[in-house]
Amino acid sequence: MAARSGKALVSLGRLNGCGLGLHTSLSRATYATALTTTTTGNKVFPERGNRGGFARKPRRPPGDPRTEKMAVDQDWSAVYPAAAAFRPGSVPLPVRMGYPVNRGVPPEKRGNLELIKIPNFLHLTPAAIKKHCKALKPFCTEWPTALDSNAKCDEFFPIKVKTTDYVSASNSIRNPAARIVNLQVKLSSLNLDDHAQKKILKLVGDRYCKDTDTLTLTTDSCPLRKQNYDYAMYLLTVVYHESWKTEAWEADITRADMDEYIWEDSPSQKNILDTLVRMKAAAEGEEEAMEEEVLGRPEVQEYKDSVSRLKNEGENESSLLQYREAVKKVLQL
Amino acid sequence: MAAPMAYRRAVCSLARIFVGITKLGTKGLSACGGHRDCRITRSHVPLRWSTSFHTGAVFSSPSSIRVTDEPDTLFQKVSVLVKGHDRAVLDSYEFFATMAAKELGITLDKVFEPPKYIERLTLLKSVHIFKKHMVQYEMRTHYRCIELSRLTGSTAQVYLEYIQRNLPEGVAMEVSKIAMEKVPEHILEPLWKNQPTDRTGQ
Repeated sequence: MAARSGKALVSLGRLNGCGLGLHTSLSRATYATALTTTTTGNKVFPERGNRGGFARKPRRPPGDPRTEKMAVDQDWSAVYPAAAAFRPGSVPLPVRMGYPVNRGVPPEKRGNLELIKIPNFLHLTPAAIKKHCKALKPFCTEWPTALDSNAKCDEFFPIKVKTTDYVSASNSIRNPAARIVNLQVKLSSLNLDDHAQKKILKLVGDRYCKDTDTLTLTTDSCPLRKQNYDYAMYLLTVVYHESWKTEAWEADITRADMDEYIWEDSPSQKNILDTLVRMKAAAEGEEEAMEEEVLGRPEVQEYKDSVSRLKNEGENESSLLQYREAVKKVLQL
Repeated sequence: MAAPMAYRRAVCSLARIFVGITKLGTKGLSACGGHRDCRITRSHVPLRWSTSFHTGAVFSSPSSIRVTDEPDTLFQKVSVLVKGHDRAVLDSYEFFATMAAKELGITLDKVFEPPKYIERLTLLKSVHIFKKHMVQYEMRTHYRCIELSRLTGSTAQVYLEYIQRNLPEGVAMEVSKIAMEKVPEHILEPLWKNQPTDRTGQ
């Protein structure tokens, strides 16, 4: 036990010297089990510094470093159980680090500040990681095997909530950006009819992406993440229910405000009817064709489709070709 | 002995998890509305788990695992971005994090290195005058991103706590979690389905 406490005091001394946060190694020291490291037997802890001067006993020379006595098959996780500074006497490797001065070699590990400054991973060797994970494995739960692809996940769990946590060293552990909540949902997974679909796009505006059919709601107005999440769900609920409502003033929509071109009662319909009626009158004399009969003809339906397509989709090769064919058929050219 | 009992209980809880999931699988998951029917039990990580792996010796009293009926959150993706000034430290940390993920059975999506960011400053060398003599500093931030896919809330908590406790000094981390949720019950049907549709909303 004396050797163990001696080691703890040595590390305490290192703390004072280097100012690294090694409090964890101290707390680890108190939970030491029967596995004590073999140090040189009953060595009395040497005096620290020459306070009295010449009246005190002269300081004994330090013994061999621990590396000389280490077995090849020792348990390394006992030497470095937790994060600790580099101790050249405890690491049996011929490490060299630093700038080679005068075309020499990098300095050796004894008294090398560079090796002490840099964080080391001596406590996280593969064997140690395996041991830790073996102890942690009982606390993990399995992923449900039914959800093995992204498509299935999207089908059954369409709402995606993204939150970010930040870990850094500074005066404060809080990061105000951690309160931001991002909620994404595909509109195809919500129960919406035609009118609701159009209205929700108008309500939501920029937050909808047409290419991926995703509605994104980002909330950061509340100070806590839970509050922002609740607000995002509230917004989704409100927008969904409002889109199903049909207000009285929605019936007052004019032709110019409509999203799509409707062929019925449009100038195009009037024109084609006029033309066809006059053509028939000129060809067959006094007979007046009924409007419904004219409208029912397949060529007129084709013409209607092509005009609607031109107006809704814009002018491109295929729609113009379709229009040309439809006109030729209707006017019997 | 306490050890085998605790493990047996853990195995039984895992078995319960499996039974629950196969049932869900056959029903096609569409029948359950909301989180309550997903009978994935959640295990609570006790605070003093660090003592159990201190040395290689056999533990006499392992920490107890508490299993609750609260449904586990499901994360479609967990993205861990580490930032540091030293690339070698991030290399070692990446080795540690990827190995830990493999040991705990977590699928790794992508492990990549976003380009470094260098912030440069040009300052006057002297306290007073001498504008022609300046000194330049630069601060390099290296990044490493580890993306994990499809973890449960308990597994994510365990893995992230392990990773974060072993974060080296001088390294910062940002964790982005994308949780999957069902459409809540109040959004399944519109409120006014049974009411006349033309309501004046003034």
